[in-house]
Amino acid sequence: MRRYSKSTLSERGDIVLDRFDKRVAEEILGTVLKYGGDFAELFVEDRYSTNIDLKNGKVETAQTGRMFGIGIRGFLGDKAIYAYTNDLSRDNVLAVAKRVGEALGEVRLADLSLDLRKKELENRHVVILKPQDVRKGTKVGYMKRAYESAKGYSPLIAQVVVHYWDYDQNVLIANTEGVYVTDNRVRTRLMINAVAVKDGQMESGFYGPGAGMGPEFLERIDVEQAGTRAARIAVRMVDAQPAPAGKMTVVISNEFGGVIFHEAVGHALEASSVAKGMSVFAGKLGQQVGAECVGAVDDATIPNAWGSANVDDEGTPTQRNVLIENGVLKSYMIDKLGSRRMGMSPTGSGRRQDYTFAPTSRMSNTFILPGDYYPEEVIASVDYGLYAKTMGGGSVQPATGEFNFAVNEGYLIENGKVTKPVKGATLIGKGYEIIQKIEMVGNDVERGQGMCGSYSGSIPADVGEPTIKVREILVGGRNK
Amino acid sequence: MSKEFETFKDKIFSLAKKYDSDVQISYSQNRDFQVRYQNGDMDQYTDAGKFKINVLVLKDGKLGSSYTETFEDPEKVFLDAYENISIVDGEDTEYFYDGSGKYLRLEPYDGSFENLPVKNRIGYVETAHSEIRKDERILSDMAVYGDQMNKLRIANTLGLDVSFINGGGFMYAMAIVKDKSPRSAAEFTLGRRPEDINAVFVGNKAREESIALIGSQSVKSGKYRIILRNDVFSDILGMLVSMISAENAHKNLSPLKDRLGEKIGSDVFTVKDLPFHPMSISNAPFDTQGVPTSEKAIIEKGIFRTFLHNLKTANKDGVKPTGNAMGNSIAPINLYVEPGTKSFDELLTALGDGILIIQVDGMHAGANPISGNFSLGAKGFKVENGKIVRGVEEITISGNFLEMMKDIEEIGSDLRAFIGLGGYVVPSVIVSEIDVAGTM
Repeated sequence: MRRYSKSTLSERGDIVLDRFDKRVAEEILGTVLKYGGDFAELFVEDRYSTNIDLKNGKVETAQTGRMFGIGIRGFLGDKAIYAYTNDLSRDNVLAVAKRVGEALGEVRLADLSLDLRKKELENRHVVILKPQDVRKGTKVGYMKRAYESAKGYSPLIAQVVVHYWDYDQNVLIANTEGVYVTDNRVRTRLMINAVAVKDGQMESGFYGPGAGMGPEFLERIDVEQAGTRAARIAVRMVDAQPAPAGKMTVVISNEFGGVIFHEAVGHALEASSVAKGMSVFAGKLGQQVGAECVGAVDDATIPNAWGSANVDDEGTPTQRNVLIENGVLKSYMIDKLGSRRMGMSPTGSGRRQDYTFAPTSRMSNTFILPGDYYPEEVIASVDYGLYAKTMGGGSVQPATGEFNFAVNEGYLIENGKVTKPVKGATLIGKGYEIIQKIEMVGNDVERGQGMCGSYSGSIPADVGEPTIKVREILVGGRNK
Repeated sequence: MSKEFETFKDKIFSLAKKYDSDVQISYSQNRDFQVRYQNGDMDQYTDAGKFKINVLVLKDGKLGSSYTETFEDPEKVFLDAYENISIVDGEDTEYFYDGSGKYLRLEPYDGSFENLPVKNRIGYVETAHSEIRKDERILSDMAVYGDQMNKLRIANTLGLDVSFINGGGFMYAMAIVKDKSPRSAAEFTLGRRPEDINAVFVGNKAREESIALIGSQSVKSGKYRIILRNDVFSDILGMLVSMISAENAHKNLSPLKDRLGEKIGSDVFTVKDLPFHPMSISNAPFDTQGVPTSEKAIIEKGIFRTFLHNLKTANKDGVKPTGNAMGNSIAPINLYVEPGTKSFDELLTALGDGILIIQVDGMHAGANPISGNFSLGAKGFKVENGKIVRGVEEITISGNFLEMMKDIEEIGSDLRAFIGLGGYVVPSVIVSEIDVAGTM
């Protein structure tokens, strides 16, 4: 029996490679095609995660764990069948492969002779500290510093919850086109939730920085400042009035404000929506879809970014995809199945939460490119409107373009100046309309971290933008 | 497989003895089938299964936890959990349950969906698809069918050893219809038996509703009387789950802290936690700590009666555990809102003038269970004199959940089951006043 221990990453990656060497991989893929289909793929995942919760400065829960399983997929034309299992005995895995082939039905390539070639990729996302090699007590130390800083920000802070999450994911991807590739993804995230109480009112503030790094990330960021940031939002909002309701000009701050592009436009550019015409942007390549000041990219190659990887979860090398340039739609985000359906090349956008999900087209690090204005100029140009300083999450229905997203920290803009804090605002609209109403784009682009949920599960994704001004958007606040 | 588990469990138990600690192990096996069609073509098909083992080690009132998906190296799994104890410094004492309580004898899931031939299961989506397509104004459609089975066994060194099988099937259909800009409507259903899933109804409802939404417009901003349809109300009730957790109350994360016995909702509003409801696929005779589940009123005629507890919080408050542990959090088994007598149509009549809300978006971001504030994108129908007159789009509804509970004026009889963190069995309600933002 092979032992699993606190070994190094490369050794851990070897466990996957060792058990699913080329001969085994060829046997599994060949079994699928023997029973049906014209393409087969396997995805083996071995992931080790740590989760620690700190409440009121004390560690309440500490959990570590290992996920280990295989996903097998087959195509016949643009029909896709998926199965997964974590009973990795040879008999079971081959039985699952056979079931996938049988479900596809038609045998096309029964006598396929496979010759998998291992592709050696240059690792663009160098990890300095492996999560397992850093003592948990050290991780807790950073969490406590963030806690102290948030707690000390104001006497109004009644609770601070700090959550720490890291994982070390080794994947092996092989398919009948000859791909046989491994990748290692290490991610670390700190999430701080601060609660302020005043006169019986409770409000919360959140900040959750993360990266495609090991725990060295905690040293790269200023954890005290991260704690302060969450506390500041809670304290400002506990004193805030409800946001006004109705259409108005909105200035959306940089960094996590980019969730507007992610929801309003990004999801509707994913092949999973576009291929079947279930997107408002289907058939619009080369057309002017947004204001001329808008450019946007999806880039999974940014070193050590939260949504980056060397290859996507289908083994396609990642790339920088220009989605929109000067308001013109340039590209969709396309996975392998989408590629078959659309007759276009994959863009390295096939992603999944883990082996229990079939991959589909997803975003990685998606952001609006910088423009010419200083953020102060953008705000000064507004007579009356909303300044959305910190955004929460949002959602969208790609087929209709209807999106919504929450403002976690908002202020009124009056006569070109940021004035009173306001809370409880949600912004809604239709993506294809909003992108035409962007009037000014700042020069202060930053990215923020979040989890994106869709067909293939919940995945790490960066959103980003500079400060932007939207001429008119519906603010869902309260009526006087 | 189960023999492998026994060996694994015995090893973990003997390690617990060696390290002078107690241990609890849970073994969950899942089966998962799902098929999705877009525009009548198979888009995704998954037929799979997996298992997961969770190990909790208890020593000196502190817990450490780990999990694995392979039977390899039980020692590493045990030691991971054991070592995690060393960083836990919370003041609360943790406990295991010895299994001595009385468990409800619930009917387990009989696997009837799993036993259906694949052809029949795909038949559900094909039926829904052809129902939706019965109108040429339909631009595109999607239909999903799925069934799941979960076998759970929990055992610990205090003598607890319980198991249960849960499961059922569900389907979802969405219709997109042509208008000035495309409109969508979706319908969802779930059940414990194949005959509970009516694909014709689901497809039909999605089509009819999408067509009824043609010509939707926004409304003027203002205060409106509204109906929260049962599916929407179940979404919004998700906020209550976090508020009634005793853990959250202890940690200053619930606005209901210190409010037991207070009137927090209107007279007609009664909310219970049920271990079993025939419409639910989330029934359970015990929680994730192995504690027996039981029926209880959480809010009774508007009065807040109890928080939900796990072993730790119950001990801290000096009350009996309520059987509501759900992993690291606390949740109802089935959150049940006691129905009223009015049918849905009678609710419309009782509403008179207002808006029927049929969808809210952005619960995960636009609703804050700590403050109770919510502001959500919504759509629905304008109602005048108890009749639906047109579709409503581009609006938000905003308010505070605690204020809203007091404004619940009528409760319908139209119970439906949904899944969230636990099950929901919920009717539609009239809320007498809510803030609506619109673009007109």
